[in-house]
Amino acid sequence: MFSQLKARFGLGLTVGILGLIAIWLIALVILPQLLMVDYSFRPNLLPADIGGSKDVYSLVNYETLFNNKIHLAIFFKTIWSSVLVTLLTLLVSYPIAFYLAKVATARQAALCLLLLIIPFWINEILRTFSWYIILAYKGPLNALLLGLGFIDRPIRFLSGDGGVMIGMVYAYILFMIFPIYNAIESLDTNQIKAARNLGAGWIRTHYRIIIPHAKPGIATGCIMTFMLAAGSYAVPALLGSPGSRWFTQIIYNWFFEGGNWNQGAAYAFLLLVMCIGFIALVMRVFKVGLGDIAK
Amino acid sequence: MDSSVHLDNVVMQFGDFTAIQKTDLTIKSGEFFSFLGPSGCGKTTILNMISGFLDPSQGNIKIGGQSMRGIPANKRPTSMIFQNLALFPLMTVAENIEFGLEVRGVSKVERKKISDRLLELVALEGSGTKQVSELSGGQKQRIAIARALAVEPQVLLLDEPLSALDLKLRQHMRTELKEIQRKTGITFIYITHDQGEALTMSDRVAVMSAGNIQQVADPIALYRDPKTAFVASFVGENNSVRGKVIEAHADRIVLECGPLGALAGRPQGSLALGDEARLFIRPEHFRLQAEEGMHTLQAVIDEVNFEGAYLTLNANTPAQQALSIQLATHQFSESLQKGAPVSLSYNEQDAVVIAGGDHV
Repeated sequence: MFSQLKARFGLGLTVGILGLIAIWLIALVILPQLLMVDYSFRPNLLPADIGGSKDVYSLVNYETLFNNKIHLAIFFKTIWSSVLVTLLTLLVSYPIAFYLAKVATARQAALCLLLLIIPFWINEILRTFSWYIILAYKGPLNALLLGLGFIDRPIRFLSGDGGVMIGMVYAYILFMIFPIYNAIESLDTNQIKAARNLGAGWIRTHYRIIIPHAKPGIATGCIMTFMLAAGSYAVPALLGSPGSRWFTQIIYNWFFEGGNWNQGAAYAFLLLVMCIGFIALVMRVFKVGLGDIAK
Repeated sequence: MDSSVHLDNVVMQFGDFTAIQKTDLTIKSGEFFSFLGPSGCGKTTILNMISGFLDPSQGNIKIGGQSMRGIPANKRPTSMIFQNLALFPLMTVAENIEFGLEVRGVSKVERKKISDRLLELVALEGSGTKQVSELSGGQKQRIAIARALAVEPQVLLLDEPLSALDLKLRQHMRTELKEIQRKTGITFIYITHDQGEALTMSDRVAVMSAGNIQQVADPIALYRDPKTAFVASFVGENNSVRGKVIEAHADRIVLECGPLGALAGRPQGSLALGDEARLFIRPEHFRLQAEEGMHTLQAVIDEVNFEGAYLTLNANTPAQQALSIQLATHQFSESLQKGAPVSLSYNEQDAVVIAGGDHV
């Protein structure tokens, strides 16, 4: 690779660009992460004690989570809720992706994609906040439902996890739609016709032909949505109630309210390890390889 | 069982574009029927209407006498072999063949029996556990046939299924398809732009052009008695000479063809004195020696090509009319060479006259 780049851009430019990339990766990505790993194994000490006799490596910070019933409950609830968010997003995104890839004309697809993308030009916080307004006790959604006579009195969407889930499905929908859309689009339309021709109804055609073909795309979409949901801070902070705290909020509290970076780092790594482990497990169950996703 | 297909005054429009002009056609039960035409003539549209992937804008499709209006593709008694075959790549060969049966709720044991029997029919016994990607082109072809036959369709639709195969295999598959059709007795509807395929396999052929069926006939009639100028020039090779009708009889038309003089042929359709018309003579109908009652044209040889069993000549008449001539190799003589004059004779029973002077 180096010789190719050198032939194309000359020695100076090649070394310069590769050097910048190396600095960016090492100094701004890898080293801070390693620093956090180091932090997580050390106690939270006053500046004067750092490097002293109390500054020893231990697993104490990691043990804290397992000794705190509330934190542990929130930890698992975050994982579980992220699974639900992922499933909900998949449920909403698959029909849209199929429509875009195989049903819509080129014009309709372009219009639809534009409508999906435009809201994402706006900052995530603002988009989430608009859901806060929509879902409010005296907000437009309740007014609409009351007006249509579906409900007798307003619903408290924002208490419990409901609001958080709606906000997250909306926030991460594109990360689900695009990989699935790409996967379905690459399916030869004659495969669908052949299945229909052999007598398969729509449900079977999806279940036997389209979904197996789109599996890598579905896996990619699910992994992205799950990771984003589990690591989300803005959505639960804005749309959550005190009863629906996300694990990220606890990590935040350790860092910025508790002032205990060591403890926060340990919590953050536990979340990361748990998420990766969970994804590896799900990929194994659904027989998806890393190679499939990279396609 | 009646497995005839009736296109009952069918019209297909896409917006302003009429893909299929009003067509009324009955394909008989158990027939090997082909639609032959250049690409874009609407033959695939007809297949899509029969299979239910498209609904005709007007008219109706009937299969076995039953209206197919409102019946979705997955409920029709048809089975299709796609141009690219569309085998399911994530399933094994047996799973492919059994897919249609699985849909119909046939038990696993029964399915296995049927797929084994079909694999035998297409001479691929024991390939059931293979992956589709392990098969050669010809084998894939045969699996596609087996998969389509597994659901016991009344009508098998074939969309240029041989076009991806090499010449030898294509010729072999023609015989095989014909054989399978004979064994099963199913109505075959075959779409192709290759006249060789259409003529060798079919009981009857419909020649199509620009959404119109030009002629429906058995292969020999199509070749001997083309009814339109399009059919005359699309099916097989043909020489066409323009002229004006100067003598019109029921079985004989004489055309005044300018510098070529008066030429006669059998009429196709009604022609009146003074009509513009074209005379079509096939390359193999020219003779070097004139016999009693033959017509003769004078020409100059432009090119001589030796093709093995026969020779082809390209020649030009004094009227700059290019002619192509096919002769048996034993007729070759030294006098046949570029620039040499040649007199070409034909029997007027071998030539047809078709109304219309415009070239198609």
